[in-house]
Amino acid sequence: MSEIKKIKNLKDFSTSADRFEGANLLCPGCAHSIIVREVLNATNDDLILAASTGCLEVCTAVYPYTSWDASWIHIGFENGSSAVAGAEAMYKALKTKGRLKQPDRTPKFVAFGGDGATYDIGFQWISGCFERGHNMMYVCLDNEVYANTGGQRSSSTPIGASATTTPAGRISYGEKRNKKDMMAIMAAHGAPYVAQVAPNKWKDMVAKIQKGFAAEGPVYINAMSACTTEWKFAPEDTISISDLATDSLVFPLYEIIDGTQLNITYRPKNIIPVRDYLGAQGRFKHLFTKQNEYLIDEWQTRIDAKWEYLQRREEASV
Amino acid sequence: MEKKGWDGFEIGAMLRTFDGAVQDIATTLPENRPYSQSSSFTASVADWRIEKPLFNKDYCIDCQFCWIYCPDMSIISRDKKMVGIDFDHCKGCGICVQVCPTNPKSLLMFPEQKDEEAALAEWPKKEKKDQSEEPKED
Repeated sequence: MSEIKKIKNLKDFSTSADRFEGANLLCPGCAHSIIVREVLNATNDDLILAASTGCLEVCTAVYPYTSWDASWIHIGFENGSSAVAGAEAMYKALKTKGRLKQPDRTPKFVAFGGDGATYDIGFQWISGCFERGHNMMYVCLDNEVYANTGGQRSSSTPIGASATTTPAGRISYGEKRNKKDMMAIMAAHGAPYVAQVAPNKWKDMVAKIQKGFAAEGPVYINAMSACTTEWKFAPEDTISISDLATDSLVFPLYEIIDGTQLNITYRPKNIIPVRDYLGAQGRFKHLFTKQNEYLIDEWQTRIDAKWEYLQRREEASV
Repeated sequence: MEKKGWDGFEIGAMLRTFDGAVQDIATTLPENRPYSQSSSFTASVADWRIEKPLFNKDYCIDCQFCWIYCPDMSIISRDKKMVGIDFDHCKGCGICVQVCPTNPKSLLMFPEQKDEEAALAEWPKKEKKDQSEEPKED
C-alpha cells in the first residue's frame, strides 16, 4: 500500500484488474472511459471517487446498476469536487482521532467532472477545494461541449465550433469565444500539480496521474476527451483524432508544478497543421468554405503563439 | 434482483457491486470477483453492435494497444497476453482494429452474424507497405 505502482511498459500495465466495469451506457468509442481506466489503473490503492453530473455520471450509474468497483458518490452538477473534499476531510479527522479501522491503507480521493461541470457550473466549488488545500485529485474530462444534454456550448468550446446553442449557418461561424485557459487558472491557485493529459499518450498520462497521487495537496488534471457524438467523427477514430490533437499542438501536453515550474512533457516529432485536426471533425466542417477560411489561419496563428508561450515559460521557469 | 423504489432504500444504503468480501479489488481479476446483480458487469450491451471485432491469434504480437484503448474493458488480457474479446460488453466501436499495429491486422471487424471460423479462414494476407493500410473487409 501507498507505494507507487510500477508500470514500466504496456505489458506490465495490462496485468491491472479494471475497477471500472463494462455495460455502462457511454457511446461506443467514448474517450471518457479510456481516461477513467488509465486513472484508476494507475494505482493499486483504495479509491474514493466522486462524479459531477455529466456523461460519465449518467452512463455509469443507471438504476439499478453501477459500473464502479470502488466507493463512488454523485451529488449534483457542481459539487463533485466538494463531495470528495468532504470525504477527504472526514478521513483526515478520523485518522487524527485514531478511529480508522485500517489505518495502514492510503486511499486516493478523485473527483471526475466534465468540462461543463469544471469550466462553468462547478468552477466556484473547485476553486474552493483548491484554496482549502484538500489532498485530492480533480480530473476534468474535457470534451469541449455539454455532450450529455445535447451539445450546448460550454466555456471550453473552442472558437469556430458548431454547437447546438452556437450553430453554424449562413451568417454565423459557430462559437465566437475562445476557450478558457483552465490550466493557468488552476495553476494560479498555487496547486502543487496541474497537468494536461490525453488518453492516446497513455504513458505520459499514467506518469502524470502517479505524480498527482504522490503530490500533497489538490491536483488538477485536464484530460482531453474526444467526443465521437458531438465532435462528429466515426467511433473507431477516437484515438486517431486524439493523436491529431496532440500532434497539432491544439492540446499541448504539459504540467505545472507549484504554480510556477512549467514542463512540456510531449514534443511531437512532426508538428502537423491545425487544418488537419479541424478537417477531421464534423463540428468544424463549415470552416472549410470561402467565407470562413480565414478562421483556420487564425487558429494556426493562435496555436503557434500558445506553443511559443509554453516554451518560453518552460525556459524561464517562473 | 428485487427492485426498490426511491423511498425503499434506507439512509446510507448503497448499490453494492460485490456480494461477498473482497480483500483487495485492485489485485482481484474479474473472474474472481463475486459480482452482485447491481454491478453493470452482469448486464450486457451486446445488442448495440452491428459489427463485431474478431481476433486472430496467429498475427498478434501482444502489444496490448487494444487493451489500453478499449473503452469498454472488453479486451481480455491475462499474464501480459491478449486472450480474447468479451462480447457481453463490447459495443463494436472498432478502436481496437484501428490501433492494431500488425500486418495484417490481428483484429478485424466483421458483421455481427459472421461465423468466427469462416472469418479466420478468409483472413487477409500480409499487405505490402505502399498499399493503403485500411483493412479489407468482406
